[in-house]
Amino acid sequence: MIETIQLSKKFKDKTVVQDVDMYLDQGESVGLLGPNGAGKSTTISMISSLLKPSSGDVKLNGESIIKNPSDIRKVLGVVPQDIALYQELTAYENLKFFGRIYRVPKDQLEDRIQHTLELVGLKDRQKDLIKTFSGGMKRRINIASALLHQPNILILDEPTVGIDPQSRNYILEMIRRLKVQNGTTILYTSHYMEEVEQLCDRVYIMDHGKVIASGSQSELLSILSNEDTISVQLSKMSPPLAKEVLALEPVRQVEEDGDTLKIISKKSSNIISDLVRLADQHQVKIINFQMVNPSLEDVFLHLTGRTLRD
Amino acid sequence: MLTFLKKDLLLFWRDRKEVLLVVILPLLIIVVLSISMSGMFDGDENLNVDLSLGLVIEDQPEEAIEVISNQISMSGKIPEDVKDNLINSIESAPPVELLTNALMSPGIGDWVTVKTLTEKEAVDSVENGGRDAMLVIPSGYTEQLLSYLYLGTENKPELSFSAKETSFEVDIIHDTIEGILNQMNLQYALSLSGTEVDMTQIQLPEGSTESIAADRDFTMGIDQYFTLSMGVLFVLFMASTVATRITLEKREQTFNRVTLSNAPPYHFLFGKTCATFILAMLQIILIFMGSHLILDVFSDRTMMFWSGLLLISIVFSLAVAGLAALMTSISLRIKNPETANGAFTGIIMLFGTIGGSFVPIYVLPDWLQKIGEFTPNGQTLSVLIEWFHFEDLSLIWLPLTVLTVFTVISVIISMMLYPKRGEVS
Repeated sequence: MIETIQLSKKFKDKTVVQDVDMYLDQGESVGLLGPNGAGKSTTISMISSLLKPSSGDVKLNGESIIKNPSDIRKVLGVVPQDIALYQELTAYENLKFFGRIYRVPKDQLEDRIQHTLELVGLKDRQKDLIKTFSGGMKRRINIASALLHQPNILILDEPTVGIDPQSRNYILEMIRRLKVQNGTTILYTSHYMEEVEQLCDRVYIMDHGKVIASGSQSELLSILSNEDTISVQLSKMSPPLAKEVLALEPVRQVEEDGDTLKIISKKSSNIISDLVRLADQHQVKIINFQMVNPSLEDVFLHLTGRTLRD
Repeated sequence: MLTFLKKDLLLFWRDRKEVLLVVILPLLIIVVLSISMSGMFDGDENLNVDLSLGLVIEDQPEEAIEVISNQISMSGKIPEDVKDNLINSIESAPPVELLTNALMSPGIGDWVTVKTLTEKEAVDSVENGGRDAMLVIPSGYTEQLLSYLYLGTENKPELSFSAKETSFEVDIIHDTIEGILNQMNLQYALSLSGTEVDMTQIQLPEGSTESIAADRDFTMGIDQYFTLSMGVLFVLFMASTVATRITLEKREQTFNRVTLSNAPPYHFLFGKTCATFILAMLQIILIFMGSHLILDVFSDRTMMFWSGLLLISIVFSLAVAGLAALMTSISLRIKNPETANGAFTGIIMLFGTIGGSFVPIYVLPDWLQKIGEFTPNGQTLSVLIEWFHFEDLSLIWLPLTVLTVFTVISVIISMMLYPKRGEVS
């Protein structure tokens, strides 16, 4: 349905996105994962025709959209990272304005507005000004504005940033319903690993403007098939201890998280005795010790040596 | 486009602070300035002070009249039956004599003391505060003026008016002289068309006498001047107010959302332009009407006057809308919104200064005055003052045309500058 071919963007001398190849099939949901500054927003700006690529191409059903962006704009809904709403207008007025400029037929506009407000659970607040809404409610209207023209493809750029867990769950559930009930194709960018794990069939991981890995979740997790992830809860965190653990031969990565050390080591390597010895040397007690299933976060850590929120 | 227009008007209406600022603030300033300076006027709103003008005559009208009379006699362009009448007019009332007589006539001489001086004396007396201003009639003035009026030469001569510093006294003398010159030129022009005109004096509107202008009172009151100048200035600010909102639409990405909607690109621009026109019209009407209700600035004016005021307001509002369109396109191209907003405010302040909204333009250097004539507010203020004095359409159609051309050019440039995809900064 949509594919990008060697998509690149340079701002002056700085390459922000480099040779990104991606594709989205009809009805699937694809996650674009990466830390802040990885180039996710620039990539989706090019896919949505807002930004011209420096090189490469974006194709919709085999046709380039670079010269004629109107084709993709008709079938595309974009939920930007920022709240792209008029704060001094009510929720209803915002939806009516965006519905009109998206050329929703006049006789259908009112029904669509009410239906969309129902979908995002804010029908009873439609007459209130956006500036009076909470962050979560603003995010929901932000999504609603992109749904009025019933797009086949929905691009969501970090739609849950900075909101409470309740609103976040509401939004994730809403996106899931859009995919299942309407068959909407979804491109979802986030640096929240668990959201991507919940929503997406396939994942692209970006870092420093490049796609560094892609595939289904199981394919990505298999990258770690030669490794074990071990979680060790300590009586207190000791950075010198963490440093010495990292120096052990089978250990690839060590991440400090509160009082817990997350250790990635070679598969079936026995580091327990070494861990007990080092803990003893540093006068730290091991409270808990468990082998954990690897997550996409671990994949990212493995690939880049950094966590997504670094 | 109507959708964009409605949205912009609604957004403006919701910003109550802005609404109060554009309507109440100018009215407040007009009232405060009028009251604080009202001591200069008596109950009839006529000047109650004695103004003084040094007049320097460097011209030698006798020789010029002889030369021009000969040229008129030999001219093939002037009808034979008009020639004698013209020569008689010139000989009986040369321009310099007409001007000095008008300045010393009872209507004006009551409040302006005119004394003929040498240039050095005039400069010294203005410099040491002895006189409010000086007027120099340069050498060759008569010949150049009559050649320009009757023989179609290109160079219109200019008188040199100067003052040590700006003041209302100086402003009033300047406006008075300008009015006399306009009327004098009109009478000379009418005599060329064969119309019988009494050229022995300049027919200034005076008291209840019906003359070319329908004004009851030639002198413009201070409250009336402030109503016009402040009204024009604050309406001009509407252009930057609208352009400043673009930065918010960019920052909050609503502009990006509009771009992605596939709406025709110019609809956004024209929505802003039309909204500015409507808001500017409403603003200027509210300022004029508010000033009239509070200060009675346009009392006993004819229907013709009000119609002309409306026409000038419409043309000026269009020019402000054109300026807003231009600023909108520029704003979409400039990366730093604060830079853009600062630049727009600076431009409006510059227009306000060289257009005479803050200080009378004659205190500025000549070259700046020339530029000031091309600012929309400068043109409008001058048209409003002319209309206030004379209610003569022939005096305002040209500047109104210039304003219309300014509008058209601004809109065309704004369309050219309006960013294509990926060009928004």
